[in-house]
Amino acid sequence: MESWVKGKPQSKAVMLYGRPGAGKTTLAEALARDYQLELLEMNASDSRNLKDVRRIAEVGATQGSLFGVRGKLILMDEVDGVNAKADYGAIQAILELISNSKHPIVLTANDPWDPSLRELRNMVKMIEVKPLGKTALKKILRKVCEKEKLKCGEGALDFIAEISEGDARYAIDSLQAIAQGYGEVNEETAKLILRRKEREYDPFETLRGIFWARYAWQAKEAVSSSHVDYEMLIRWISENIPVQMEGIEDIWRAYDALSRASIFLKRAKLSGWDLLTYTFDLMGPGVAMAEKGKSKGTWKAKWKKFQFPQYIQLMSKSRENRQVRDSILSKLGKATHTSYNKTLVDTLPFVRVLIERETDIGLALSQEELEYLKGEEKGSTSEARPYSRKRPRGKRS
Amino acid sequence: MSDALWVEKYRPRSLSDIVNQQEIVNRLKRFVEEKNMPHLLFAGPPGTGKTTAALALVRDLYGDNFRQYFLELNASDERGIDVIRNKVKEFARVSVMGNFRFKVILLDEADNMTSDAQQALRRIMELYTQSTRFILACNYLSKIIEPIQSRTALFRFYPLKKEDVISRLKFISEREGVEFDEQGLNTIYEVTGGDMRRSINLLQAASAYGRVSVETVYKVLGMVKPKAILEMINTALAGDFQKSREILRELLVKEGLSGEDLIKQIHRTLLSNDLQIPEELRVVLLDYIGEAEFRLLEGADDEIQLNSVLARMAIYGSKFLSGKQ
Repeated sequence: MESWVKGKPQSKAVMLYGRPGAGKTTLAEALARDYQLELLEMNASDSRNLKDVRRIAEVGATQGSLFGVRGKLILMDEVDGVNAKADYGAIQAILELISNSKHPIVLTANDPWDPSLRELRNMVKMIEVKPLGKTALKKILRKVCEKEKLKCGEGALDFIAEISEGDARYAIDSLQAIAQGYGEVNEETAKLILRRKEREYDPFETLRGIFWARYAWQAKEAVSSSHVDYEMLIRWISENIPVQMEGIEDIWRAYDALSRASIFLKRAKLSGWDLLTYTFDLMGPGVAMAEKGKSKGTWKAKWKKFQFPQYIQLMSKSRENRQVRDSILSKLGKATHTSYNKTLVDTLPFVRVLIERETDIGLALSQEELEYLKGEEKGSTSEARPYSRKRPRGKRS
Repeated sequence: MSDALWVEKYRPRSLSDIVNQQEIVNRLKRFVEEKNMPHLLFAGPPGTGKTTAALALVRDLYGDNFRQYFLELNASDERGIDVIRNKVKEFARVSVMGNFRFKVILLDEADNMTSDAQQALRRIMELYTQSTRFILACNYLSKIIEPIQSRTALFRFYPLKKEDVISRLKFISEREGVEFDEQGLNTIYEVTGGDMRRSINLLQAASAYGRVSVETVYKVLGMVKPKAILEMINTALAGDFQKSREILRELLVKEGLSGEDLIKQIHRTLLSNDLQIPEELRVVLLDYIGEAEFRLLEGADDEIQLNSVLARMAIYGSKFLSGKQ
């Protein structure tokens, strides 16, 4: 963070991401204080359509501060809470803001991997804010106790820190709740009032939950408590199977289970959503138990990075190419009285040769279609990887 | 219409221009003389002149304005019998002008229709029989239901004879000022097995490289083969799953192939000589490919199902090929 502010920044904006209560907003606020920047804040509860964001941007860019001439820090809190429909254009506006702003911008998000944030991810520096450890949490709680003159047992602190799972906000709120309810904070009162909170998993946690599961229920729980939409989650799993598994038989079993999961998804759509549970069974436990080694006691989780699925961009590119190809085939098929399939197999390959040799084939082909015909089957396809240029992978720093 | 493609440029325009399939041509000429015809069924392998004969027939019947009397449909392109029914209805509704009592509908690849669809087709044929005649074209007669066979006059098309193919290729080459040698043309015939469409396409593509010879013909053949598919299969069989997955993505993205397209091409490659593997392995893989296609039809995801196929290939590869490479 400091190096971003002090050094010559490569990007005007950073995205702080991490679980709730890890300290993203606090960090941004502290930054503003340390560098004496005026904080312009917008968060998810504000409505954030195009106009609103532009207004803030203008205020930030043009008006002098009431407190004299100070720099400004623009904080866009919880950008993943931007509702694609209700906040129509908001992402676009944020992108504009980033490219026009004279001031540094901090974005925060719990889940930066949402597909709608893809463009945004490419424009900002990504910084992960890790959840707090138990010791750090206890330190914070003790400080609060001191200031508020609270009596508080070590056992209670341990318990609160344990169930808060790194969420400082939750820990402090809990402390306050017990103090207000019972006046005294000890292990019993804490246990009376607090329950382990339920929360959803981000994609990386979900994947960890699946690939590292030793029991079917663990994998099932990881899938059902994921906040990643299940169609998207199938992509995440598919991308990571060969990364996380080594044995080819394991890989096959995992893909096989995932393929069954996709079939059950189709069935659920056709015949009733009750069947969706089998989709979850196969994508969770089905994939998790594909690894045979797990049944042995010596099995250990691999610490390999989980990858962001490329499939979405790949498929939209694929769809574009398919449309171009279909339009060529329909022109060719009409001209030569042949069906789509026959044209594909019997005519198209020869037409490619003719186009490559700059022969005019007389059909009114568009530039795009000509490029499609020229662009392919030139030698081996294995090395060239045109799609890897835009591969957005969250940099975890 | 594109006359830059020789297949089309040199398609015989009139029945009299058709040099082979003499028996068929003579029977068709009689329909022209009588200005009447029954429903027809053309059966025979690809590239033997079914479409050409149908087009020549309607041109001879109606003259150059034949288009208004003629509707061309492709069973495999039209989505379902309802689309066909609507198109036929629309076409038959407009009454015929001039001397002709009927219009002609050519329905190609009729053997790609399910038997239910063919039953529906039969009813359509009966319904509009006053105003239309159907020419059904198919590769496999056995796939046409009997009620249709019994209501149509059958014409069987056979693969063209070698001398017919070669003389046509020579004729075209001379017209186009293309140099060739005898061996080059022989090679074309050998690899296409008398399929005129493929022969002419191959001739034109080879001529783009200069003299049509054994070399240029094989050069083109090498280019039109789906190399990436073969490479993907070989890579998977050799055990490099990751790399074969990369090729798969290329094919899905760059070529815009669908899962089913790919499975069909893999299927074709498994049966071809380009893939050199033990015959046993071929059969095992074919079985699994069939299973994969079935799953795709059931709604399995393209990329995931194909990844599963590649992983399976890697497993079988290590069982069947280990030590033999």
